Amino acid sequence: MKNLIAFVLSVALGVLMVLSLTNNDWFAQFGYVDLADRVSQSYIDKDVTGNPGEIIFGITSNPENGAANIVTSIVVDYRSFDTLGEVTVLFISALGVALLLNSQDKNKRLALNFKPNFMLRVGSRALFAIILMTGVYVILHGHLTPGGGFPGGTMIASSILLLYLADDQFRTKVKGFKLLEGVAGSFYVIIGLLGLLLATYFLQNFLPTGTVGDLLSAGVIPIVYILIGLKVGSEIAGIIDNFLTEEEVSL
Amino acid sequence: MLIASYVFLVIGGLFFLLGGLGILRMPDTFNRIQAGTKATTLGSFSILIGVAFANPSWIFKIIIIIVFIVISNPIGSSAIAKATYRSNHIPTNLVQDDLAKRGEEHDTN
Repeated sequence: MKNLIAFVLSVALGVLMVLSLTNNDWFAQFGYVDLADRVSQSYIDKDVTGNPGEIIFGITSNPENGAANIVTSIVVDYRSFDTLGEVTVLFISALGVALLLNSQDKNKRLALNFKPNFMLRVGSRALFAIILMTGVYVILHGHLTPGGGFPGGTMIASSILLLYLADDQFRTKVKGFKLLEGVAGSFYVIIGLLGLLLATYFLQNFLPTGTVGDLLSAGVIPIVYILIGLKVGSEIAGIIDNFLTEEEVSL
Repeated sequence: MLIASYVFLVIGGLFFLLGGLGILRMPDTFNRIQAGTKATTLGSFSILIGVAFANPSWIFKIIIIIVFIVISNPIGSSAIAKATYRSNHIPTNLVQDDLAKRGEEHDTN
C-alpha cells in the first residue's frame, strides 16, 4: 500500500514537472523573461520609501518604510526574518556558554585579587547609569541615527560588566535576565505573526509609518529594536555572568 | 558665536597636544597619569564647549558627555595608579608613601 502511494505520488510529480516545464505561461523560456513583470525589478527600481519621489526629512509622511536610517530599514523591516535568525544564533551561543560554564553555586563568583576601593565602587555605579542611559538612547533612536538594538544591547551588557569588574560583591539576577530574554524573543515572533495577520506576510510593518525623522515613526521598527536591544543586552549580560561565575567541572 | 567656538576648539587642541607631549616626556607612570588625565580633561571640556557654541541645540548631550568625563577620568586614573603601585612599578625617588603606612603591600611578582 505504502509503495503504491509512493509510486502514484512520484508519477504525479513527474507529470506536473513535465507539464509545467513545457507550459510557457508558468516558466518563461530562457532569455525571454521580461524583468519588468517580476518582483525583483520593483525592488531594483524603488528606494526604501516605496516610490522614486524625493523624501524630505521631517515633512514626508507615510512612506513605505519610514525609517530615516537606511540600514535599519533593511535590517528590521525588509530583512527582519534574517534578523530573527541572527537573534536565534546569539541565543544559541548564549545557551552553549551557559551549558558549558553554568555554576551550581549561585552565590559564588570569581574573586578579584585586589580590594576595590571606595571611589572605584561608587563611581562605577554612577558611570553605570550613564552607560545604561546611552544604551537605551541608542536603542530608541535606532530608526533615526546609526545604532539600534545590537549595539545598544551590547552597551547595556557592558555597563553590567563594569559593575562586575569594579565591585567584588556584585552579582546579577540571572533568572531575571533569562526571563527578559525569553519574553523579548517571544514578542518578536508575536509581532511577526501580527504582521502576517494584519498585513500580508510574516514580520511586515503593519503600523502607520508616520513622518520621516520623528521619534514615533517607522511603524514596528522601534518596537522590534527595543525588543532586540532587551534580548541582546540580557543575553550578553548572562554570558558575562556565566564567565565570571565559572567553576571547574570534574567529568 | 562661531569665533568663540573656534577659540575653545583651539584651546582644546592645545591641551591635547600638551597631554600627548607629557605622556611622551614624563619619566614615570604617576607623572604620565597626571599629565595625561589633566590635559585630556581640560582639552575634552574645551572642545565640547566649543562644539556647544557652534551648535547650541546639542547642549544637553554635551552636558551628559562632560558629566561622564568628570566621573570616569578620575576613576580610571586612580585605578591605573593603584595598579601601578601594586605591581611595584613605583619610582625609586618616591618622597612620601601613605599607602605603605596603611599596610598596602605590593605584589611580589
